[in-house]
Amino acid sequence: MRLLLVEDDVAIQDFLKRALVEAGYQVDIASNAKTGEMKALEEIHDAFIIDLGLPDMDGLDLIARCRAQAISAPVLILSARRSVDERVKGLERGGDDYLTKPFALAELLARVRNLLRRSSVPQNESIRLHAADLQLDLVRHEARRGDQLLQLTPQEFALLEYLCRNAGRVVTRTMILDHVWRMRIDPATNVVDVHIYRLRSKVDHNAAKPLIHTIRGVGYVLRHV
Amino acid sequence: MSKLRTTAAWRISILSALAYALGTAITFSIVYFFVAQGIRERSDAWLSGEAAVLARVSADTPRDRLYNRAVREVAELAARELPEERTATGQNLNAVFFLEKDPNDRQSPLWVGPSADDVFLEAIGRANPISGIPQSIRVEGWPTSFRVVAQQEGGRTIYLGLSGRGAAHTLQSLALRFLVVWGATVLLGFLISYTSAQRTLRRVEQITETVARIGSEELSERLPEPSNSDEISRLAKTFNHMLDRIQSSVNQLRSVTDTVAHDLKTPVTSIRGTLESALFKEPGDTWRDSVGEAIEGLDNLTHLLNTMLDLAEAQAGALSLDRRAVDLSDVVKQVVEIYQPSMAERQHELVIDLAGHVVVAADLPLLNRVVSNLLENELAHLPVGRQIHIRLRSQQNSAELVIEDNGPGFPPDIITRVFERFVKGKYSAGHGLGLAFVDAVVQAHGGTIRISDHPKGGAVITLRLPNHGFQVLHDAPEPIASNPNEVPTEGNHSQYAKANLE
Repeated sequence: MRLLLVEDDVAIQDFLKRALVEAGYQVDIASNAKTGEMKALEEIHDAFIIDLGLPDMDGLDLIARCRAQAISAPVLILSARRSVDERVKGLERGGDDYLTKPFALAELLARVRNLLRRSSVPQNESIRLHAADLQLDLVRHEARRGDQLLQLTPQEFALLEYLCRNAGRVVTRTMILDHVWRMRIDPATNVVDVHIYRLRSKVDHNAAKPLIHTIRGVGYVLRHV
Repeated sequence: MSKLRTTAAWRISILSALAYALGTAITFSIVYFFVAQGIRERSDAWLSGEAAVLARVSADTPRDRLYNRAVREVAELAARELPEERTATGQNLNAVFFLEKDPNDRQSPLWVGPSADDVFLEAIGRANPISGIPQSIRVEGWPTSFRVVAQQEGGRTIYLGLSGRGAAHTLQSLALRFLVVWGATVLLGFLISYTSAQRTLRRVEQITETVARIGSEELSERLPEPSNSDEISRLAKTFNHMLDRIQSSVNQLRSVTDTVAHDLKTPVTSIRGTLESALFKEPGDTWRDSVGEAIEGLDNLTHLLNTMLDLAEAQAGALSLDRRAVDLSDVVKQVVEIYQPSMAERQHELVIDLAGHVVVAADLPLLNRVVSNLLENELAHLPVGRQIHIRLRSQQNSAELVIEDNGPGFPPDIITRVFERFVKGKYSAGHGLGLAFVDAVVQAHGGTIRISDHPKGGAVITLRLPNHGFQVLHDAPEPIASNPNEVPTEGNHSQYAKANLE
């Protein structure tokens, strides 16, 4: 998978490139819109990550120019502008997703994954999910740890399903709120953590190896260590 | 003097005095004209009447030796009919002359009148007045002209003349008196208008001086407000009102700056400290925890910045609302679902009382944040083990959401200001932005939010949002949820319609 990152800030460029390469992508870098457009025409990319505040051109114009030249790869917009208007404008003018700075790396990686998945052939929806000895039956809404049937509320099940779908990858609290409850709220209190504690007390109760782990400062991950 | 001329009081009084002088002068001229005309008409009427009488006397009296004497006596009698108006020197101003002339006989004309008759004869001969029409004739040696009327009688002509000196004198003294009174009143008027204008404008000057003195440091000073309500008082009141607002804005800005400085510097300091301590840890130590802690600190900082920006945007009225028909009861249910475990953790009892579907025209993401902020507020300020009552009612043109608790209520020192930025209770751990944001969003929606203390103790927040004509078509009864965990959130998409379609 080849990505093009158009970002003028060198510090952000560096850490993004490192993170994306670590995640297994090939990354091309452009520091301004002109180079970005050139590189986009030279190579075939699977997705673009474009910062809106570029020195020579607005990122939205760059997207429009790429679209005009029949480049259809999905675009993740990065921006410090965080108003709903800006977000809507970005998505209307050719962006496929919008992430405001500062962001959690985990969230950026998740969004890139999403974009790439969306653009590829849709996979068959599985009716079962597995992670270690955890099994989820998405039709019956049943979860089992080993032989044990877990007594979960509907939202606990939805939360576990989301963690399971992203097994091995860190999800942030914002991502959880967004995907499990479809809410773009930014609570100051630890509401998400309380949900996780409750879920963990059921899933990892009496288990020799816990599945749900807290990554301090980032979020949570379901993995079998 | 030149400084005086630049003052408004001077200009106003000069202008008003000029206008007054001009007006009175015009009025006097008109009066003078009519008086003069009246006097002349009166004397002309007298002249004509007397001339007719004298003509008849002259016709009736036989022409003998006594004739001259008889006519003379009648003429003198007629002259005496006029009031004697004498000047200080004793000269009769109403001098009258009588002349009877026969152009055919060589006999000297009959003359009754003052002084020598030759100047009069000569003047009359020159003017040759038409019979019956009074005419002004200048006579040499006399300062004013005579009104003379001629009357034909049996070939002889009778002339009767009256000096206009009396009338002229009357008019002259009238004009003189007017000039004196006119000058005095104009001067007096000027002085009065100058004094009053100066007094009025001195108050304006006072306002100017006070306002000039009020800098950013001296915002507490106020203009004196007189009890009357003229323009200047209103100006003073308006200025004071403006100063009140400026002062409150400046005070608010100061406290905001202080708070921002404090709220930003504290986390930055702790993040820096955490990272520094991580730097000095030995390899293999648990530096991950420190870094995680630092990231959490940064996230809190981001959260604060975002909230401040959102609030600034909302308060500036820069929110662009994507209004749709939103079921407020769905919003409450979903947000409560998120907060339920945290509430349970704090051993709060949530009582949810939703009256079916309550539709409002609102921006859904913002409404989610409003409800979530309100619950955050409860979570942050309620002591363990209390009851929170959420009640939602549909009303004629609005929806009413009431959140009550049996906690300590709002601290009395902030109850009037809870919707201001950075206003928070002494023991509050928050930044004091949540309710300010809620207020701004609700106002942007055209709604209201009120807070009060419950009579039995505890806080009551009442939120009212207009539904803009949206109402539920199928108002299916909804099971009342005491535990939102049990309420399915999917599959209850209701149908809405705008009631008043154009």
